[in-house]
Amino acid sequence: MRRSSRLVGVLWRWHRRLGVLAAAFALMLSLTGLVLNHSSQLGLDRSFVDWQWLNRAYGDDSAQLPAFQPGQNWVFRAANGLVYFNTTEVAPCSGNLVGALQVEGLIVAACAEELLLITPAGELLEAISTSVGLPVPVLGVGMVEGSVALQTSSGWWLANLDTIDFTVAAPAGALVQQHAAGELPDTIRQGIPAQDSWLSWERLLLDLHSGRVAGPIGVVIIDVMGVALATLAMSGLVMWWLHRRRRRPGSR
Amino acid sequence: MIHHSIGRKLVLAAIFMMAAFSVAAEEYLSRDDFLLLAFGEQEPTMQTLWITEDTRSAAREAVGWIPHALRLRYWQAGERTAWILEEIGKDKPITLGIVVSNKQIERVDVLAFRESRGWEIRYPFFTSQFSGLSLSEDGYLSDTVDGITGATLSVRAVDRVARMALWLDAKVAG
Repeated sequence: MRRSSRLVGVLWRWHRRLGVLAAAFALMLSLTGLVLNHSSQLGLDRSFVDWQWLNRAYGDDSAQLPAFQPGQNWVFRAANGLVYFNTTEVAPCSGNLVGALQVEGLIVAACAEELLLITPAGELLEAISTSVGLPVPVLGVGMVEGSVALQTSSGWWLANLDTIDFTVAAPAGALVQQHAAGELPDTIRQGIPAQDSWLSWERLLLDLHSGRVAGPIGVVIIDVMGVALATLAMSGLVMWWLHRRRRRPGSR
Repeated sequence: MIHHSIGRKLVLAAIFMMAAFSVAAEEYLSRDDFLLLAFGEQEPTMQTLWITEDTRSAAREAVGWIPHALRLRYWQAGERTAWILEEIGKDKPITLGIVVSNKQIERVDVLAFRESRGWEIRYPFFTSQFSGLSLSEDGYLSDTVDGITGATLSVRAVDRVARMALWLDAKVAG
């Protein structure tokens, strides 16, 4: 058998297999891409998904979210990302609420990617994020020998909230005092305004298009499909070229 | 067999590379790197600006917006101030670093971008347009800035933050 025929055979076999694998994704990507191109005109950024199961899958299950009680007050982060001090809305906070404590008259609410310093009146004193040096993800917040300390994957770090410095490791073997997560009392939960709808159709389509709807693994799957579609295009072109060359008069 | 093995390795390497890019796509510049770009060898001092109710009202009147917090941090060396401020583009905050010198913007950097669209604002072809702009009496920038199609809300957010940084710089300069 001639070498080009063998190559066409191999290419055709893989082209077919990849084609079947990628067809459904290609259809989904092209449809979501088409709709996303016109999402503003279609009003998809202003209309919201009303499926409770999907909202729950996105993490909107407020009843299950942890709350912390430093002192007499409760700190809670709602599914839309807003942190509440009792029933007072404070500010949005990046990442899930991982802890809260009271220090020198201030409340420190620790989210996975941001710290909020809250006054006793429920006002936001300062938001400290990764952009000003916060190590992330924050796994917990506690008191170590009278100082605020943050827990990260590399251990506990003393937090100097005046100079915004998190570079001093907590002494080894030191006792860490933390508040355990609790369940927000119904009296406070009822005082928190109902959450606005937030999962827009545009967001859902974007997440479908990018694969983020299935988390980080979904992104990798879409990446693989991108490589598969590019391979299909290349193998199709090579097969067409080989076929054309074979049919050319005078070709051996 | 050898060909199969090489092909498999190439596919795996491609997947890992793409996964790495997708994970590292959010934070562009750390605080320390931004301050190094802003001040070079100079050592800036971190300052605190308290936002009183009067300051808040004045800022709203002048530029129509002010960060939510009661205190803001900024860095200063001589006449130059650097501000790290956050503003929401569409749904999520964009972290911007603005350097102001002699009442003019010296540089704008996008430190972190979390939205799904509009990330093109991080590129110098856009941010360099702010260099040399000052705050007009009407609270707008002294010159127009070309937008980016598909990034309108992010562009507006940078415009608001740039105006706020100029106003804050004037406030701390007295």
